[in-house]
Amino acid sequence: MNPQLKGAEKLAGTYLFDLATSAKALRLNRFLHGLTVAANRTLFKDDPDAAFEKAALSAEERTMVRELDWAALIRYGGSFFCLEKLGRVKGVSNPEMVAGFRGETLEQFLKTRNVPGAR
Amino acid sequence: MATILGGIGTSHVPTIGGAYDRSKQNDPDWAPLFRGYERVSEWLEVKKPNVLVFFYNDHASTFFFDHYPTFALGVSETYPIADEGLGPRAVPPLEGHAGLARHMADCLVNDEFDISVFQDLPIDHGVHSPLTMFWPPAPDWPGKIVPIEVNVLQHPVPTPMRCWKLGQAVRRAVLSYPENLKVVIVGTGGLSHQMNGERAGFNNEKWDMKFLDLIARDPKKLTAMRHADYIRLGGTEGAEEIMWLAMRGALSPRARKIHQNYYLPMTTAMAVALFEEPAAKTSSKKPRSARKASFRTRAARAGIQRRFQP
Repeated sequence: MNPQLKGAEKLAGTYLFDLATSAKALRLNRFLHGLTVAANRTLFKDDPDAAFEKAALSAEERTMVRELDWAALIRYGGSFFCLEKLGRVKGVSNPEMVAGFRGETLEQFLKTRNVPGAR
Repeated sequence: MATILGGIGTSHVPTIGGAYDRSKQNDPDWAPLFRGYERVSEWLEVKKPNVLVFFYNDHASTFFFDHYPTFALGVSETYPIADEGLGPRAVPPLEGHAGLARHMADCLVNDEFDISVFQDLPIDHGVHSPLTMFWPPAPDWPGKIVPIEVNVLQHPVPTPMRCWKLGQAVRRAVLSYPENLKVVIVGTGGLSHQMNGERAGFNNEKWDMKFLDLIARDPKKLTAMRHADYIRLGGTEGAEEIMWLAMRGALSPRARKIHQNYYLPMTTAMAVALFEEPAAKTSSKKPRSARKASFRTRAARAGIQRRFQP
């Protein structure tokens, strides 16, 4: 184990993105990272199944992406920074994604913030 | 010879650039953020650096996990703006100082810092989100940058101590550049935030204040901490603070924090801190004082080695 991280595994609700996670979710994260290319975004918007097929996503991966199940995507090994690309393409803001990770609605999450309007 | 005028530590959360792009200066929800950067842009206006050296992280925009560099130095004359899912942000391509960057690559590798280099690759909000707050294009950028990418996404990420040492090596590299360039070092990221899991939305204002104090007064304490400590205290993404350590390592021990601002509106604690080198005071004068600055610089370097060599 990486001695720099020893102890961090005990933090509840925290998913460390390490090499094992990265390897497990490489295909999913490559698909998400690919959304930085306009042609891939167009394909995903016009024909999501064709985009999933091209990226060879598994049935589980397709369901999580289709349903924008942010909590499941993170648990599976999605990198937040790759998921961010999906958020932008689908018009979902970071506070909405964070609410999803916490199992809250956006309204519930915003109530916990200092300046809910700063979005 | 090149001189280092000071340093800037700043958050790089994309909403900072978003607030700038949407002209939120007078929006009460955003005004405290803009006000916090005013002192920094005024200082840059007076000091007029030629180059900002940026320790930043890419957000899986340009680099991907099939080959994610631990440290990578940009050596281009220009960098396109990265497309992060909405098309590139409407700011001009970043201008790089290729001469200084190539010299830094030579120095770093010969100083046993075997850094990877990149050119002609796009750069994301890790650099330009805070940049428009203190060095906005009008319509062109006021000067050039040298970007140094640091992996803070995929563990193992470099240790806090290694980032500090990278900063020291960058200082040696910059100060040995023969051209009379004025350089400012920028470290980006943080402060406390976490963007995954049920703990997402975690902040720790008390730790953020302590970090802002230690980075100026006792950075060595921060180099002795482990990533697990940073994650516990500041959240998984708060660990980006190691890029502030690289910036601080590139300054002399006599650099002084002359300004800071802290604003925590939503998910990420947004902070900026400005550090000034004492030698910078004489840098605008003529050859004699330039020699003096060079002597001071050498003394400062020796000072670092005496004080911080293990």
